[in-house]
Amino acid sequence: MLEYIRAGVFAFLLLAGLFIQITAVIGVNRFRFSVNRLHPAGMADTLGLLLMALAAVVYTGFSPVTLKILLVVALFWIASPVCSHLIARLVRETDEKHFEAEAKEWKR
Amino acid sequence: MPKKRKNDPFKSFLNWLENGGNALDDEMQDALREETDEPSAPEPKKKAARKAAGKQTEEFRPKRAYADTWWYRLLAVIVAVVLIGLLLETVERMPRFGEADTLMDSELTEFYVKHTKEDTGALNIVTGIILDYRGFDTLGESHVLFIAVCTVLLMLSIYGERDEQNRLLQGEMERHFEPGDDVILQSAARVLTPLVFILGIYIILNGHLSPGGGFSGGAVLGAGLILYQNAFGYEKIEKFFTYKTFKGVSVCSLMFYSLAKGYHFFTGANRLDSHIPNGIPGNILSGGLLLPLNFVVGCVVACTMYALFTMFRKGEF
Repeated sequence: MLEYIRAGVFAFLLLAGLFIQITAVIGVNRFRFSVNRLHPAGMADTLGLLLMALAAVVYTGFSPVTLKILLVVALFWIASPVCSHLIARLVRETDEKHFEAEAKEWKR
Repeated sequence: MPKKRKNDPFKSFLNWLENGGNALDDEMQDALREETDEPSAPEPKKKAARKAAGKQTEEFRPKRAYADTWWYRLLAVIVAVVLIGLLLETVERMPRFGEADTLMDSELTEFYVKHTKEDTGALNIVTGIILDYRGFDTLGESHVLFIAVCTVLLMLSIYGERDEQNRLLQGEMERHFEPGDDVILQSAARVLTPLVFILGIYIILNGHLSPGGGFSGGAVLGAGLILYQNAFGYEKIEKFFTYKTFKGVSVCSLMFYSLAKGYHFFTGANRLDSHIPNGIPGNILSGGLLLPLNFVVGCVVACTMYALFTMFRKGEF
């Protein structure tokens, strides 16, 4: 019984992570402005990575490798939002026509 | 010219998946162009207009000959799917990681697996091969990195500008668009930089015992330097890493590498005893020349990465 529960949790986590990654890929290609694109890109690096790492942890069971996986997640959670922040800041400082075009887009 | 084909669901899905709303983008660009009162070419006679406009405007138009046709996209998707399938198939055929009889189908690999440990004292066979059996090759690679930095220095350096005013102005322009003191980046870098440096040093010093070595560890160190520079600016990093440091470290490392390797080749070719003990395989101080050579290669790679970054960003050190 416990095995079935574990397999179910593993499948759920992996599928959820895959869903988020695929959503992120489509979003990055689909959105038209760099700040809009940042949103799915940041989502893939944080939530998608967390779910897939948790799936790996559930699959292998608790071991020293678990700590390494969690360390990877922690480092990504420190680094990835900072990257998004820097890109957004650079867009705001350098791209003058950006918000103009976006406002035009929302009006239609 | 690509026609509007809203009727075909497959093609429009491909269009949607691959470049969002390209058609809408065009309309928006037209709207922007109208706003700036530029005369835009009449839509129905685009081909004739392009011919009439001559070569000068044609250069600035985006070329959409192949990349916009439906069969090109279909072909691209098919090629990508086939390639991914082939790679996955190959992965499926590869021997499992860590099996004993993995490498036993070639004489050379068999030789390396059998003799590396006693010949070089390295547990990591890859390091034993690239720094001992094929040390000459790695020597050339390190020099190639150094030559690349020299070339970039020659081409991008703004030290050579005769006009002092012009040089200062150029530096000012470069610095104008750089994000300055960013508190978020700084607090993240305070956490990450020590970890990155420790990881890099570990990879370099453990290169003969575990996967890793000079090149990968040096790349990690260089990334740490770049992160530190981005967060805290040139004033902070020039306290311990300047052009002088770069010159000294790179040249000393390469000279040490050349001398040590030359000595090794000389004694090896003349069947002399090199007097360099191999030590007990598995200890940190073992492997003869491997540890210092790994260290030296790591220094060169880290300096090279940081130097390329600063040259491309600022034009000087």
